[in-house]
Amino acid sequence: MKKILRRAAVTSVATLAILGLAACSTAENSSAGSADGTVYFGVSAAQTGQYAQYGQQFKEAFDLAVDEVNANGGINGQKVALKYEDSQSDPKQSVAVAQKFVGDSDISLVFGDYSSAASIPASPIYTQGKLLQYGFNNSNPDFTAKGSDYQWSTSITTTASYVWTADYIKKQGVNTVGLTYLNTADWGIPAYNAFKDEADKIGLKIVDAEGVLDTSDDYRPSLSKAVADSPDAFVHIGYGPDAAKIVTQLRAIGYDKTFYGGQDEQSFDGTPDAAGSVIGAQFIETNPDPAVAKFVAAFKAKYPNETAVTSFEAGAYDALYVAVAAAKAGGATRDGILKGFQELKDVPSVVYGTISLDPTTRRVQSPQLTPTILTDGKWVAES
Amino acid sequence: MIDTLIAGLLRGNVYALGAVGISLVFGVMNVVNFAQFSFFGLGAILAWFFVAELGLPFWIALPLVLVICAGLGLVINISVVRPLAKYLPLAAMLSTYAVSQILDNVSQIAFTAQFQVFPKVLPTSNLQIGNMRFGTSDVVMLGTTAVIMVGISLFLKYGKLGRAIRATSQDQEAALQMGIPVGLVQNVSFVIASALGGLAGVFIALYVGVANPGSGLNIGLTAFVAATLGGLGSLVGAVVGGFVLGILEAFGIHFFGDTARQIIVFVVLIVVLIVRPGGLFGKVPLLSAEPLTGTFLGKGRPLRIPRWVWPAAFVVLGVLVPVFANNYILTTGTQVLIYAIIAAGFTVTAGQAGVLALGQAGPIAIGAYMSAVLTLYLHFPFWVALPLAGLVSAIVASILASPIWGVKGHYISIATLGLGIAIVAVIQLVFPQGIYNIPVPEFFGTPLSTPLAYYLIDFVVLVITLVIMWRIRGSHLGKVISSVGADEVAALASGVRGRNYKALAFAISAFFAGIGGSLLAHQYTYIDPTIFTMMMSLLVVTIVILGGINLPYGAVVGSIILIGAMELLRFTPELRIIVYGLVLILVVRFRPGGILVRKS
Repeated sequence: MKKILRRAAVTSVATLAILGLAACSTAENSSAGSADGTVYFGVSAAQTGQYAQYGQQFKEAFDLAVDEVNANGGINGQKVALKYEDSQSDPKQSVAVAQKFVGDSDISLVFGDYSSAASIPASPIYTQGKLLQYGFNNSNPDFTAKGSDYQWSTSITTTASYVWTADYIKKQGVNTVGLTYLNTADWGIPAYNAFKDEADKIGLKIVDAEGVLDTSDDYRPSLSKAVADSPDAFVHIGYGPDAAKIVTQLRAIGYDKTFYGGQDEQSFDGTPDAAGSVIGAQFIETNPDPAVAKFVAAFKAKYPNETAVTSFEAGAYDALYVAVAAAKAGGATRDGILKGFQELKDVPSVVYGTISLDPTTRRVQSPQLTPTILTDGKWVAES
Repeated sequence: MIDTLIAGLLRGNVYALGAVGISLVFGVMNVVNFAQFSFFGLGAILAWFFVAELGLPFWIALPLVLVICAGLGLVINISVVRPLAKYLPLAAMLSTYAVSQILDNVSQIAFTAQFQVFPKVLPTSNLQIGNMRFGTSDVVMLGTTAVIMVGISLFLKYGKLGRAIRATSQDQEAALQMGIPVGLVQNVSFVIASALGGLAGVFIALYVGVANPGSGLNIGLTAFVAATLGGLGSLVGAVVGGFVLGILEAFGIHFFGDTARQIIVFVVLIVVLIVRPGGLFGKVPLLSAEPLTGTFLGKGRPLRIPRWVWPAAFVVLGVLVPVFANNYILTTGTQVLIYAIIAAGFTVTAGQAGVLALGQAGPIAIGAYMSAVLTLYLHFPFWVALPLAGLVSAIVASILASPIWGVKGHYISIATLGLGIAIVAVIQLVFPQGIYNIPVPEFFGTPLSTPLAYYLIDFVVLVITLVIMWRIRGSHLGKVISSVGADEVAALASGVRGRNYKALAFAISAFFAGIGGSLLAHQYTYIDPTIFTMMMSLLVVTIVILGGINLPYGAVVGSIILIGAMELLRFTPELRIIVYGLVLILVVRFRPGGILVRKS
């Protein structure tokens, strides 16, 4: 009996190893275009792990947009469908996912990844496979600047975003700010450098800048230092969940002036201490524009449990429509979509109103920001 | 200054609660329990669910969270940890890692990955000392901790079961002989530890205001350091370690910034361990065996492998895969090969010298950055940069690790884990931005950037690595290193300077880690510090433990399973991590000494 058990164990281990080797035994499909006449887009994003929250938000918006596109006749009669792969936003997996998508001839475009640290290592693979990598969430300017013709993004760059923020704060009559920024190579540091350069230029004094990590929970030592000289306002360059923790602790140590920072994200929007925070937004859920209202209503109808529609959902929703527009313009093949991207003009958008792409920077032409203030858990345009 | 002190106390409070749980389990079971990390995240998200979603009063939610965590702890201990700890503490450690992956992902499926706003159940800033405001909430937390700590110490001192816990923690064999029900004691300890983990999680949520299922990892790591700082197995030590770490961290951040947090934590730890190798309150036994050494080899069941398997494997991996595989398999294969190279090199440290170092991400990062800088800025060819990256990594890592080698047992694991994290943190200070456009390897001017080229390069490097490892094992030097691992005391008695050979083994491992880092950097063509995480270090260790800690080619098998299986499980994205965890537990159950084991 024992022997049998042992054999069984050995066999199962051996099988596992062989399975592991053959981890991907799907043979490469070399026929052009998909067999069933559907247009497939790939999505490389985190469905598990620490960035899973964003992967879920993207998926909800993508699925909604796909339903709408298909209900309205798809791409010249062809249906649109997505193939999801969970990269955990980990470069070790995003490169494998990239290779999988490149090898799958059904796929004519890939969305993602979430973070630039996972997107950029995959970029050479997409370039070599002549597959367009649409990093719609990659605000790191270098994603496109150092990428090839195959890297495109409709995200506003951190540079544009934080130059605007510095200018706006100065215009409010603020002369000194205390500041925290995420000390991350792919996002926080480039964003802070852009803010600092502009602040130096326009005479906005940063009394103290503290690099912080989004994985920290306790920011009080950094915050008490940053506000020691009681600056006129406080700036945080970071994401939603860390901004929620920071603003809570900032109020807990008794600093009560304006908080410029945060993000349109569920945990930040719902944090009581975050009320009154100001950010430059591209997308506002409460925007009376009919296209936005229609999107928000459709989203809440499909996902009744979601309390907020944020810029993450809006960005993904737009991205799918941009991809569809490109496929309509250039054809639903890899080459066609690339051609489509190079020509896109005035695609309707819930984030920007309309999107026109600049074929040299491969970014949105002159994106606009609106100052918004967090009131009762919702961002509203500042009057 | 007083505000920084208060911040440190509040922070230390959470660490202390976590550290007591970790120390308790370590004391009675000799297992480093990674599942404890998950209880922080679970406690936080459960408290959010009861209070914010179900609308229960906080004072009902709190005991509910404790009961659920305690119950889960019992189930985990009975079903996974205890059966495996019978074989090897190391097997149990690997299984607690698997359990934590499962717990995190089940709670992510149940509660979604969203960061949730934790309602303000108590005022957080209604009181003031000096400039520092704090709230009833903070006072309640400190008070609760104080009551619990006093309660636990009275229980340990006077309670019958408490005394049994202390006895088991001092000497398990003797306790068994005296008729103490060790099984029961271990279950009770695990239950207490899990409940304390959950409580610490609730406090985190109260304190920071948001909760998320995966939020336990970072705070868990620091609590782990606190337990080590205090002395593993010592409860007083855990409490003191928690508060000391919290306060030092607060002042460190005040003076050097949050970025330096990890450097501060680990520099404190390493300094304390050098001065007091058993932590502040722990005892260092005169004769202390490393967790991986000595009689343990006898417990593994060797797998006899016929000779023809080796040439067959060589042909399959080196000829058949490159000829028949598509690019996706080749790309996954390069990841497998790179980790196999790193892990095979690591078997000298883990298997031969018997040191379970945990911070391999450090030397990997050194290699990657070195290679990137040499080729990108100094225009070295890849083929020169590759060995140089290994060499620099070996030199730097062994210099940095040199003070550690007097430390023993599990302490060395934590110290090296800290070293790895600190190295990456320092690299981040030097290169705050990512490095782009790292040149691809070239062969007489032809760029070798296809998946096939990367695969073949990595395969050749792996073969060379295995040959070198085989030569080292067969050499006199290898035998001396093995003697340190097999029986350090006997080796010392024979005039072998154990410390030096451990350092040498670590340098050899760091060399291959650096090579692996260089290969990764040139394939990604982009690196930044977020790539070299603690998870990367854990992956290297789990590959080695899984494959067979002693055998370099075991690392290849471990790498195929741990990295290949993640890709294989793509057919079930929702359950991927959970299935991965279960597979890991099953493999550990049936091959507790690793899949391939050297004949003892």
